[in-house]
Amino acid sequence: MTETNRNRLMLAIAIIMAAIYLFPLYWMYVTALKTGSEMFATPPSFWPSTAQWSTFAYVWESRNMGRYLWNSTLIAFGSVALIAVLGTGCAYVLARYRNRWVDVGLFLILMLQVLPASLMITPIFVGFSQVGLLDYPRFAVILAIAAKSMPFFVVLVRATFMAVPMELEEAALVDGNSRIGAFFNIVLPLARNGILVSAILIFMQAFGEFVYSKSMIQNIELQPASVGLNSFMGPNTSEWNNIMAYATMYVTPILAIFVLLQRRIVSGLTSGALK
Amino acid sequence: MTNQIELSGVNKYYGAYHALKNIDLTIRKGAFVALVGPSGCGKSTLLRALAGLESISEGNLVIAGDRMNNVPPRKRDLAMVFQSYALYPHMTVEENLTYSLRIRGTKKAEAKKAAEDVAAITGLSDLLHRYPRELSGGQRQRVAMSRAIIRNPKAFLFDEPLSNLDAALRVHMRKEIRALHDRLGATSVYVTHDQIEAMTMADHVVVMRQGVIEQQGQPLELYDRPVNRFVAGFIGSPAMNFIPATTGPDGKSLILDLGRPQTIGLDRTIPANRNLVVGLRPEHLTIAEDGKGLLEAPVALVESTGSTTFVTTATTPECVVVVNGRVPITGGQTVGLNFQQEHIHLFDAETDSRIE
Repeated sequence: MTETNRNRLMLAIAIIMAAIYLFPLYWMYVTALKTGSEMFATPPSFWPSTAQWSTFAYVWESRNMGRYLWNSTLIAFGSVALIAVLGTGCAYVLARYRNRWVDVGLFLILMLQVLPASLMITPIFVGFSQVGLLDYPRFAVILAIAAKSMPFFVVLVRATFMAVPMELEEAALVDGNSRIGAFFNIVLPLARNGILVSAILIFMQAFGEFVYSKSMIQNIELQPASVGLNSFMGPNTSEWNNIMAYATMYVTPILAIFVLLQRRIVSGLTSGALK
Repeated sequence: MTNQIELSGVNKYYGAYHALKNIDLTIRKGAFVALVGPSGCGKSTLLRALAGLESISEGNLVIAGDRMNNVPPRKRDLAMVFQSYALYPHMTVEENLTYSLRIRGTKKAEAKKAAEDVAAITGLSDLLHRYPRELSGGQRQRVAMSRAIIRNPKAFLFDEPLSNLDAALRVHMRKEIRALHDRLGATSVYVTHDQIEAMTMADHVVVMRQGVIEQQGQPLELYDRPVNRFVAGFIGSPAMNFIPATTGPDGKSLILDLGRPQTIGLDRTIPANRNLVVGLRPEHLTIAEDGKGLLEAPVALVESTGSTTFVTTATTPECVVVVNGRVPITGGQTVGLNFQQEHIHLFDAETDSRIE
């Protein structure tokens, strides 16, 4: 087989894989634009005959999506802020010191990553309700998400910090800066890309978080869009086009961010961001 | 001359590992001191201890009259040039140079002026607005130097600053660093594993091994009178030839073991039947016709660089002879080797220390 043929075959396989992987997304967009009868037609149509754009406005109004998305945004930003402030310091220490306790710490951090949210929610719920945190349900969810996602952030950002040579900090110390000054002047600017990328990933996770929000936020006024989507779907739901329209409005902004930043995200995750 | 840096009884432990052992070192103001030794000898640790990047476990460190044992690096007022240069990648050359000034609250215009002045000295004037990644290795090296000299510190610390440069540039920068040192009247401590750098640049060379200072003194003093076999072998290139020997029954002759015993006379008297190691520098040996030398040796290899010729003998241990110019000999031939009495170094076979 020649080189070009081989490349063509590889490309074909890649396209097929991508098509399978992206099919649900496509189906979501298409279904959102279909009418009720077209949605249930057999064989299914792969392109809506007449696009129903009005569905979006109807769903946005009737489900009060503005409020849901606001709550989601608030929770996501809160979590990212908390994680970025606490996790950056934590990652720096874990990157710069090497001893037995650091190894124990790293192991525990990775352990936490293994525990699923659906398992953690019961003890968290009990604990939070006892200290009265459930009176501030959105803040409680932010805390829970921060605890859940911090390990991921710490592990990623630690790798970024490790790519910043120790000698740069030492040069700053000899040049007359303090340890803290060297961190803010030298290390942080150099690790900025890695931290930013990790924060974006955390944001996207937190924006779609469901288990904690569903369990801890009873008041519909305070629920994020993920919980709103869930309450939209009952056992006898048949309005799939409306649900898909909801999902479209929920997911598209995140997708847009990802597409816009994907080059930076990929390079931030793979390289040490230092050259 | 006043003392700029004084170390007395300095020890450094990493857990059970004893990295620096009883270091005593005095550095005069204006001196250029080279710390030299094989890798892992503690020379970099010593330099980092001076800078304050490593703490010292015991002993005293005094810089310009003040005890500095527990003073953080930023308050020691020293400047350091790192092996990797450690330029701040997110700052331009000018920002790199002025960083230390800006931390100390120097006014912007003043700092800019200082950067321009230093850049003029080191030939960086056209590069002030570039980033380190846009510079060549030699230019980065200059930036690292400039960053050190911009603020007139109490001493300069160099941590193998030339090891990332190619051979030609290294020789050039060697002279330039020394010239800069003289012009600024600075005090410099220079770490290197290259004894030629140490010999050519420094007024005072400190040879270290396994955390111990083996010998310190003027470069030629170390070359002429190494206190032990290690220093003798480390200083000088190519390295000194070592030949096991015993003293003759009268104590006035040496029986050298070059595969077969050969006897030479000695102008000193030492106890009879003592086991020794005789050291002869390759450049102190001369080639004579067979039968006309103090020693006889078959030739294994003749290598010429054009200006000098290296002759390796087929003896055990093998000896290297450096001859100026070219010699009409080939491998397999037997030649005589000559040398002067004053060039014979004697070391105890067990303790490796020098015997006068």
